[in-house]
This record gives sequence, structure tokens and C-alpha cells, in this order.
Amino acid sequence: MEEVRLNIDGQTVLCTPGTTIWNAARAKGIRIPNLCHHPDLKPAGACRICLVEDEKSGRILASCVTPAASGMVIRTDSPVVLRHRANIVRLIMANHPESCIVCDQGNRCRLRAVASELGIGRIDLDPMMRTFPLEEANPFIVRDLSKCILCGRCIRADRELVVVGAIDYHFRGFQAQPATFGRRPLEDSTCTFCGTCVALCPTGALRTKTPGYAGSPESWSEAVCGFCAVGCSLSLGTSAGRIVDVEPSKRPGTVNGATLCVRGHFEHDYLNTPDRLVEPALRSGGSQVQGSWEDVVSFVVQGLRLLRDKHGPQSLAFWGSTRCSLEENYLFQKLARTLLGLNNVGSGEQGGVVESRLGKIAARTISEIERAEAILVVGANPTDSSPVLGYAVKRVVRQRGASLVVLDPMRIDLVSFSSAWLSVAPREDGVILDALAAGLLEHGARPADGVEGWEAYAERLSCMDREAACRQSGVDPSSLKCAVDTLAGKRIAFVVGRGILTQPHAAAAMRALENLALLTDSLEGEARGFFFLSGENNAEGALDMGASPGFLPGRLRVQDAESRRYWERIWGVRISPDPGLNRKRALEEMEKGNLKALFVMGENPLRELPRPERTRSALEKLDLLVVQDILQTETSRMAHAVLPGAAFSEKEGSFTNLEGRIQGFEAAVSPPGRAMADWRILAAIYDGLAPSPGKYESIEDVRREIRDHVPGYKAMETRPGGKGTPQYRCEPDSREGREKPVFREAGPLPDGLGDSGEYPFLAVLGSVRSHVGNGTRTSRSGRLGEFRETGDLEMNPEDCRRMDVHPGEAVRVVSRHGAVERDVRPSRRVRPGFIFVPKGAKGNRAVDLVDLLKNGNTPSACRVRIEKAGNGRRP
Amino acid sequence: MKKTDVDLSLLAPLFQRHRDDSWGLIPLLQEIQEAFGYVPPETIEPIAEAMGLFPSEVEGVITFYAGFSLEPKGKYVIRVCRGTACHVRGGRTILRFIKKELGLEEGRTDDDYRFTLETVACLGACFLAPAMMVNRTYYGRLAPGKIRSILAEYGGRGLDKEA
Repeated sequence: MEEVRLNIDGQTVLCTPGTTIWNAARAKGIRIPNLCHHPDLKPAGACRICLVEDEKSGRILASCVTPAASGMVIRTDSPVVLRHRANIVRLIMANHPESCIVCDQGNRCRLRAVASELGIGRIDLDPMMRTFPLEEANPFIVRDLSKCILCGRCIRADRELVVVGAIDYHFRGFQAQPATFGRRPLEDSTCTFCGTCVALCPTGALRTKTPGYAGSPESWSEAVCGFCAVGCSLSLGTSAGRIVDVEPSKRPGTVNGATLCVRGHFEHDYLNTPDRLVEPALRSGGSQVQGSWEDVVSFVVQGLRLLRDKHGPQSLAFWGSTRCSLEENYLFQKLARTLLGLNNVGSGEQGGVVESRLGKIAARTISEIERAEAILVVGANPTDSSPVLGYAVKRVVRQRGASLVVLDPMRIDLVSFSSAWLSVAPREDGVILDALAAGLLEHGARPADGVEGWEAYAERLSCMDREAACRQSGVDPSSLKCAVDTLAGKRIAFVVGRGILTQPHAAAAMRALENLALLTDSLEGEARGFFFLSGENNAEGALDMGASPGFLPGRLRVQDAESRRYWERIWGVRISPDPGLNRKRALEEMEKGNLKALFVMGENPLRELPRPERTRSALEKLDLLVVQDILQTETSRMAHAVLPGAAFSEKEGSFTNLEGRIQGFEAAVSPPGRAMADWRILAAIYDGLAPSPGKYESIEDVRREIRDHVPGYKAMETRPGGKGTPQYRCEPDSREGREKPVFREAGPLPDGLGDSGEYPFLAVLGSVRSHVGNGTRTSRSGRLGEFRETGDLEMNPEDCRRMDVHPGEAVRVVSRHGAVERDVRPSRRVRPGFIFVPKGAKGNRAVDLVDLLKNGNTPSACRVRIEKAGNGRRP
Repeated sequence: MKKTDVDLSLLAPLFQRHRDDSWGLIPLLQEIQEAFGYVPPETIEPIAEAMGLFPSEVEGVITFYAGFSLEPKGKYVIRVCRGTACHVRGGRTILRFIKKELGLEEGRTDDDYRFTLETVACLGACFLAPAMMVNRTYYGRLAPGKIRSILAEYGGRGLDKEA
């Protein structure tokens, strides 16, 4: 393609055809002021501030939308340009309220910045303000359209970046305004409160709702969001030692760009909750008494040592957290493995990925989703669980025409973007994945050359009865056909979630997935492969650091002698070859009285695990319960020793996101009270237990060890605000050898939840957008309160009619394991015969309906019956 | 046309015709307005779904164009010109007179859905100033008497009063 050569402000500029004048100037370091332009949005030419003059033709052009043409002689600051620009700004200001003094946008206001740049003080025009009522009924966003300059950034962000479509311009001319469908308040619209519009609004028209006037933060620091595994880059605005505002980081190349979700943007106010743990404490009699750090740490050290010496290492267990940093998880498991000699180390729930071969293939970057030809979403609800990844899926479907197939019992938001919805019954995924593969095989799908097991697999598929598979899994055969037609001939990116990862027989379903990926040549390579939405922010990292009963750092199997030798050489200790206890077995050992001490870091088992009474009585049997956490929880109240830790915003550290990207963060504020960074607490305990203290004086000491020894972490970059390390899931090739891809028998596909006369409904337990995990943190968000997601259970309107249940009426949901009481909301998201019970929110817990699985995971579906609660409210 | 229950089954064949057009929304809205006399708000969500758009987007288009209405209009839509030439020739008085005759404010429709009164920036018939249109018919060189007889032709109150 021929280059375009033009002159801008006396400089010769070369650019590719189609480049706008604005971008061409920018590349030469010439800054043209603007209000409506944003690099992540399509240019709109709405504000006209970026006017420039073409000296040759004398024309005045909006540089953000005008392509550069050869021979142009552009002046960005000629007297004519400056005069026009100033007049436009004056007119905008005449239309703008003069409430700058109390405007939360304050010094961040772009209109103010542009006006001062142009030297405009008094505008000498009659004010011609448009007034709109202030909208602030929702807990997140204050909308003051009087301050709107109609730049359309919010509208474009809503449509182009997060693809929600809640707002658009309504009316025109003087009446024009960004508005929701029917001009309803935001809370009654489809708005998801991701806050992207707030972050992009150049004026104070859209601001974060704060309890009082906060003004511009005194300083900003770079952080990584601590909620889900996408690992969005945040900027935390602080004033007087408190976090007062959160925005997406403006650095280039972040995972999230200009977007965030409702949690990341608005729910970090849990950090300031009065429920924070601020003092180290020891239990004395029935109550916890504050103590000094020295006393509490030495109590923990002596207690652990004593019990280990008396009952052996198997009497201790360490439950870490996928919310804690890489450094903390490394220290945590090292402490347990090397100083106490046990493998009973975990970090929350570990889905089926780690045991599967899929856990070893390279993780893909989220940006690759945007280049995918086809996407298959399996048992995941990305727009709720990992919204920023969900945006990428919606973008590639809407804007690039990629095909989307959703395999999920629920009619999740993505279904309206999809070509086919396979409404599979819980735990029947394996059979329908095989049926899908059989269809694709018929359409000529073939694996790459030389994959073993191909003939047997093809044989098995070709004699498969797809009709029967549909009947068994509850999928409409025409949807299956549509899914096959949609995916035929395409490479697939798989987005896999908890719906499949936490099944009792996840391994079989994962093998079916793997086979499907092999068949379509989608296992590895550009813009295809697997995206696991396993859970919390550092789920990948905690595994990489060995915070798992069966895996050493670098995901090396404990049972593998070679792997053990590797770490034995580094640590200079013997490592037990027995894999440690998962949570289910640890609880059983507690009940039997074999497990004497439990060290819990950053988890809340009493809230998270099914059957809390059982968990409570198991924990009560312990001789020593140590809880290190940031919040007062049900579990911390039971502890013999309480170690107040620091939230991600109060310490240094790093997380590995679902792409395998390692991202460092820094402390924005100090921990409250006497709370301390978790790695410091662990280092103090390490010192107490180790023969020679002082090994970990600074976090750099831990990082050095990780870099030097953990496979895949050599280049770990932890500079806060740095680009992060694009590390593709640490590959154990070096030690365990890379397995060749091979088709494998999926094994006996497990029965689903079957039919049951006594429990006629299938309950899907899932999360909702505003809560993450069990809601220990998000439920403390003052903003969220009980907004919108009050934990209502969703039931198909037909079932509601059949059962004579009215909207808002309370019902009891009863399973084999327990019961919960919730209000009913009729919803077409669930099919007849199904209900959806959200996990976060409400006093009673959805996990009461299930029991821990043998693999230590909490299932996400079960059979239930519905009883009328009798005290229902009727509308 | 009077506001009645909207028969959404009329939509399906219209959708069928425009679903795959790349710029099908406006022709579709025109046909819907033709069929119902206006674009009933309850059709917006089905339209959005059929066209792969968001409801707010569809509503944005409808509210942008003066030619689309979300409210049912009268059988006869009177558009009074407010252009410069008409203004000079007494357009303001003409508008005031029509308002009084019909008992309607600008943008309103009478209770029996006979008349809707609107103003437009210019009808492009300056040589006829002051001018107005009733549906697709132009009327120029207006004066109170002439207006009365025009309205009477359409069964307006002017006739009733004189009768």
C-alpha cells in the first residue's frame, strides 16, 4: 500500500492510507486537543474541538474523523483554528452549569482542561443551560445530564466496548441526550453498572456515587483487581489514607483497556468496612483478646510445632487462598512443606483443570478471543463471572461476526448473542459434547495428522445415536444441528466454567472437550484453545506456587519422584510423597480427631463449604485454629489465633491471571490498625519455625526464590504498573515431559442427576454479576447493599403458574442435604423444571443444598423440591 | 389513528422482509408506521431482537426522525410552517388561530384522533406564505377565513361551530 505524505505544522508526516489526521499528528508528537475522542473507541467527530486547517484548501476539518490525504498542509494551531476552537468551547461552556466547585470530577474535568489550555476564562455569552433532574437512585452512578456535552463517549463505550446497549442518543438538536430504552432510570434498564461510561465521561455528567463529596483524589496508584481471574488493571485514587475512587488504569496494553465491571469499579468499598480485622488476637476462654504481634506469632509457632511433634505432620493442614498473592502462596506452602513436613496445603477450590491434561496446555490471552472464528461457551457465564472476558466474546460476535454456541442449562446473557443454545441438563455435558463432535465429524472435521487414537474415536462417534444423546441431555435436536452447522469447518475457542469444572466426574467431561478440540484442530494455536474461568484472581498463580495438596510449585506432581527431587535439592528437605488431604478429606480427619491444627489464610470455610454446621463442629474439634484474614468472618470468630492481614491495596505482591500473565501491584494505602501484609506475617512465622531466622526480610527475597526456581516464572516481572509478564501457563515440559496429544476414551460418561420423583426440580447454583465467590468480600460493599440481586431464586413462569407461586412469594427449596428459603422471581432464563439459586446474598446459603464432592469441590447443581413457605408476600 | 391494542402478529412478515438488509431499520420502521399509524412503543423490543440491535438504539433512531412517532396521531396531521417567509407574512398569527380553532397545542392530538397539530421549520413553499400542510396537501396564502373552511373540509370544529 502506498504511504500518504502530508505536512502537519511544518513537519513531514508519513502514514498509511486511512489514518486520521489526529492519529498521524499524534504519531509525530503533535497533540490536538479533543473531548470526544478515545483511542479505544471509533472516532465520532462529535465535539469538534480537534479542528485543524488545511492551508491548501482553506478547509476546516475535524482531525479525529478526517483521513489524512497526500499533499495536505495541515495547521493545528493557526489563528483561524484557535478562534473556531475557542468559540466551540465557549458555546459548550455556555451550555454547562457552573458548579465546578462541588463537582466530583474536579480537576479531572477534560472540559476545564481544554478551556484552560485555550486560555478561556470568562465566556462572555449568555448562559443557555439545559437542566435535567439529577439521577442518583442507583447505588453506583450519579447521572447529571445537565453537565453532558453530548460527546457520545458513554454511548460508544456501552456499545463498542462492553456491548450492553443500555444507552443511545435519543431525540436530536437541543433535545438530544444519552438515554436508556424508554428513558427509564439506569437501575430499571439493562445497564450492568460496569462504570465504563463513568471512567470515560470527560465532564462530571457521570460520576461514581460516593457517600459524601470526595473531590479529586490526592494521589493515584496502580493495582490489580482482586476479584476475578481476569486481573484487570486498576488505578486506585486515595485521599487521606483511604481509597476514594477506582478507575480502570490508563496504561496501554492492560487486560481490560478502558473497561471494568461492577465489582471492580464499585465494590472495593468493602476495604473500608468496619468489619476489617485490625488487631492480632488470641482466644482466651470464650472470647478473643488483643495481643501483640510477637505473642500471637509465637503462640502460633509453638502451637504448630508442638502438635507436629506430638501427632506428626499429618495432624496439621494449611488452607490458603487463591485471593492471596504469588509470594504469599509460595511462602505458605513452603512453610508447611519444608518446616512442618506436610502436603496438606490447599488454596480453595481446584476445579478439574489441574488434574486434566488441558491444565498443561498453554493459556491464551483474552485478546485472542477477539480474533476467534468460533467460540463454544461450556458451563460458564462469562458476562457475570468474568465480565471483561465476556465483553471480548460479545465484541467478537457482534463486531466481527464470529460464531457463538452456548452449552449451559441456563439461558445466560450470551445466549442472545449466540447462533445456538444447547440447553443441557447439569452433568450431561459429556454426552452432548460427543454428539456435537459426531455432527462435526460428519461435516468433515478431521484432526491434525498423526494424533493417536483417532480411528477408535471416529468409530465410536460414527455409531453414536445423536437423537438419544439429545434426549438424555435434554437438548433440542434442532439446536444441536444448528450448533453443528455453526461450528463446522471452524477452529474453536473454548470458554469453560465452573459448571463443568466442579462436577463430580469433571474428568470425563474434560476428556470429551479435549477430544472435540483435537477433532477441530483447536487444542492449541492462535485464537483458539481453552479459557478456564475457574474462579478467583490468583487461582492460576496459587496452583503455580504449589498451594495444592497434590502439586509442588511449578505444578509438579508430589507423587513424581523426579519432581520431588527437584524441590528437595532447592529446599534442602525431604518432601513426603503422599499427596495431602483435600478439603473434604481434611474435614473427615478433623471429625475423627486425627487432624489437630488448621491454618486458614484468606478463606472462610464456614461460609464457603456446604453444610456449615458440620464444618463448624469439625473446626470445633481442632486443638489449634489459626485464621489469617482481612475481614471478621464466621471462621475468624472461632479462631484460637487471629492474624489480621492486608488487602491487595495495602501491600505489595503479584497475581497470575487466567491468561498466565503475572502482574505486580503496590500498596496504595497502609493496612488498617495493626494489620500487616500477609507475606510479612508468614515470614514472621517462618522465622519462628526455621532454624535460622531472617530469610525473608523483603518481598524481593521471596520473589528472587520464585524467579530462580519455579518453572515458568524466570521472567516474572512485578513492577507495579509494569506491563506484567505474559507468561503462558508454566509448562512442566522440562520435568514431566510434554504429552503428545491423543484421543482418549472419555470413559464411562457419568449419569446426570437423573429423574427423581421426590426431588422433581433441578437447581443450578450460580453466581451473579455483582458477587464473586461466596460473597465474603462483595457482600460487605456498602454500595451494593441489597441492590437488585437480593438472592431471589429464578423459576420459569410456567412452573410458577403450575405451582401457583406468585412473584415475590417465598418458597422453601429442599434437597437431600438441606434447605434454603428464597423469594421467587419468574424468569425465562431458566427452563421449565429448573430453578436458579444465586450463591451470594441473602442470609441463607445456596451451598446448604449440596455436599462437598470427593474431590473437595462444591457441586453447582442438585435435585430439589419446592415447597410453599406459607408466609409469602403477595404483590 | 386511534390507540388500540397493538397486534404484534403483524410484525413477523415485515421483519421477514428486512431482517437481512444491512440498512433495514428505517424502511422497517416506515412500514410499521404505515401499518399501525405510528410506531407503537411495544414493538421496539421485538424490532431490536429481529434486527440484532439494542432497544435503546432503535428508540434512538425513532426519536431522531421527526417522521416517526411513538404516539398515535390524528387522522389528519396539520403541519404549520414556521419558516422566515411565513413568519414575515404573519405565520405566528396563523398558528395561534389554528390552535384556537382546534383547541390544540403544538404536538398534540385531539381526543377523537381526528387532528394532530405540528409545526415545521419550513415547508419549502415560501411563495405560498403563510403556508401549512394537511397530510400531503399544501395550503397557502392562509387567512383566518380560509383556514376555517379548510378545517371544515376535514370535519373540523370550525364547521360544527358555523353549522
